[in-house]
Amino acid sequence: MATLIEYFKLAFKNLKTRQLRNWLTILGIVVGVFLVITLISLSGGIRDTIMKQLKSLGGDVIIVLPGSMDSPMSLVGGEQLSKEDLNIIKKVKSVDVVLPMLYSSKIMRYKNEQKIVFLTGIPWNEGIEILTSFQGWSLSQGKWPGSGKRELVIGNLVAKEDFFGKEIKPGEEATINGKTFKIVGILDSLGSKTDDTAVYLDLTIFQQITGDRDGGAQAAMVKIEEGVNVDKVAKDIEEALDEVRKRRRGEDVSSFSVLTSDKMGNIVGGIMGIIQASVIAFATIAIFVGGLGIMNSMFTAVRERTREIGLLKAVGAKNNAVISIFLIEAGIIGFIGGMGGIVLGLIVAKTIELYGQIYPMFYLEAYMPVGLIIFSLLFSILIGCLSGYFPARRAAKLKPTEALRSHE
Amino acid sequence: MEEAIIRLQNIHKVYQLGKVNVPALRGIDLEIFPGSFVTIMGASGSGKSTLLNMIGCLDSPSQGKIFLDNEDTALFSESKLAEIRGKKIGFIFQQFNLLQNLSALENVMIPMIFQGINEDKRKERAEHLLSQIGLKDRITHLPSELSGGERQRVAIARAFANQPELVIADEPTGNLDSSSGKNVMEILTKFHKQEKGTLVVVTHDPMIAKYSEKVFNIKDGRIVYNDVQKGEILWQH
Repeated sequence: MATLIEYFKLAFKNLKTRQLRNWLTILGIVVGVFLVITLISLSGGIRDTIMKQLKSLGGDVIIVLPGSMDSPMSLVGGEQLSKEDLNIIKKVKSVDVVLPMLYSSKIMRYKNEQKIVFLTGIPWNEGIEILTSFQGWSLSQGKWPGSGKRELVIGNLVAKEDFFGKEIKPGEEATINGKTFKIVGILDSLGSKTDDTAVYLDLTIFQQITGDRDGGAQAAMVKIEEGVNVDKVAKDIEEALDEVRKRRRGEDVSSFSVLTSDKMGNIVGGIMGIIQASVIAFATIAIFVGGLGIMNSMFTAVRERTREIGLLKAVGAKNNAVISIFLIEAGIIGFIGGMGGIVLGLIVAKTIELYGQIYPMFYLEAYMPVGLIIFSLLFSILIGCLSGYFPARRAAKLKPTEALRSHE
Repeated sequence: MEEAIIRLQNIHKVYQLGKVNVPALRGIDLEIFPGSFVTIMGASGSGKSTLLNMIGCLDSPSQGKIFLDNEDTALFSESKLAEIRGKKIGFIFQQFNLLQNLSALENVMIPMIFQGINEDKRKERAEHLLSQIGLKDRITHLPSELSGGERQRVAIARAFANQPELVIADEPTGNLDSSSGKNVMEILTKFHKQEKGTLVVVTHDPMIAKYSEKVFNIKDGRIVYNDVQKGEILWQH
């Protein structure tokens, strides 16, 4: 142990010379590790953010969307669930409440500012209870709008000063589609930027101002009875919709999707898994290339010091001692490089996260588990040691005379 | 009769340069007795440095046997040899071979690290040796901050660090001007007397040979003049 400390001291002294080369080698590791940390923490962050939003859906709620998951474009398209569809869902066993929802991007005018907002129509009468008790909605100010009144509830970010340039207070007025509305409530944050920048109003009013009167919906939130298996009900809804469509309209493709939060989680998880796998693959290549660079510079460095190795052997250093000293040097280089890469990676990831908090478009939380950090550190130490070990062993195996003869 | 500290029996060494075999030593028999100061002389290319490397266990012969304290060194493992070098043999090279990133003091302490001597004792011994060679106030200097003569003196201190039985020096004054060279030789002889080890110096400078008690001349890999008679003990001369 005492000798190991001596070797450490020697290694540190050696590192202090040849500083430029050592820093260049360290830089190589820093870049590799930095790349890995940033890529993994950001892609992990995207996944976590999406999953968190999905979780906020709540376990006992099923979402029915028009369009099929198999052809994602149809989800974005203008398809709607018909009034008939909604009635069928209502009749399915164990379905408690069906909340039809309509949404559309509209220009909202407040004072003299105009902004595009995501306008969402929800039937307040049936909706408030579900939204408050199952989706975690709550008001930070004001009250809920009455059914059938021209009253708005706005997301908490809409109320903030940097949205319309002025903080909105309950009781003020805003104009949408030429109609004047009274803002009665401001929501607490719902946990997602999309929801927090939306404006909510009663479904019937939404239908009036947009002229959408066929009683359909762009989405339906289904609250099921307590203690019932969500997947079972989801399946029943699917079958009921399928059957009606086939029988009455002769369609044989299901043009709707029934989603539970689990199911959506699976879909998103699958996609993100692929993205992350490719990110890790790229990162591995990056670190591998970095590793080659380190090996190269280690090889040259050790070669240059063959004479020094010969001297150490002449004054009584055994091969193991020589290899240990070089291994410690290489390990320290790997360690410093790894630390540098981790710190830099975390700074960048945190900066992006911070940026996302200012600009909702990029909202995401950096993902940085301790395991990833420890792994990166160990990995870079390992790369350093490996690339130092082989040239050092080769040099240590030379006879002292051969090593001493070599020119610096 | 005193046992030789090192005994060479019919030593041959052949170097391979590409496809050509170059014989450097062609059958050397040699005995060196404890406490003696021996010079090996010869022109460059005569094989004298090769011979010195054999004596110092830095290299192994192609043929023949080397006995160190009556033990056949061919039977020693690589790490055993390193241990022996560290404990019993001190080296002084023409090129000094100091570690550039370590101070004079640290350079002298290096051989003691591998003997597991604790730091306080190492420091004490190294400081003692450096003050003996007149570098007491330069112990923190790096080799690059020292003159050639001073560097070689540090190397001498390093060679004596572990109180070796045998110190070998390969052209110790070869890179020095004559006054530094003289100074170095004086220190070498002084240490040899104080530390009571055996000293073997290789040189082509007849001036140096004057300091020693015994001279071996080597030419074309053979000892050409050898006045060591069987049964004679060098240090009684």
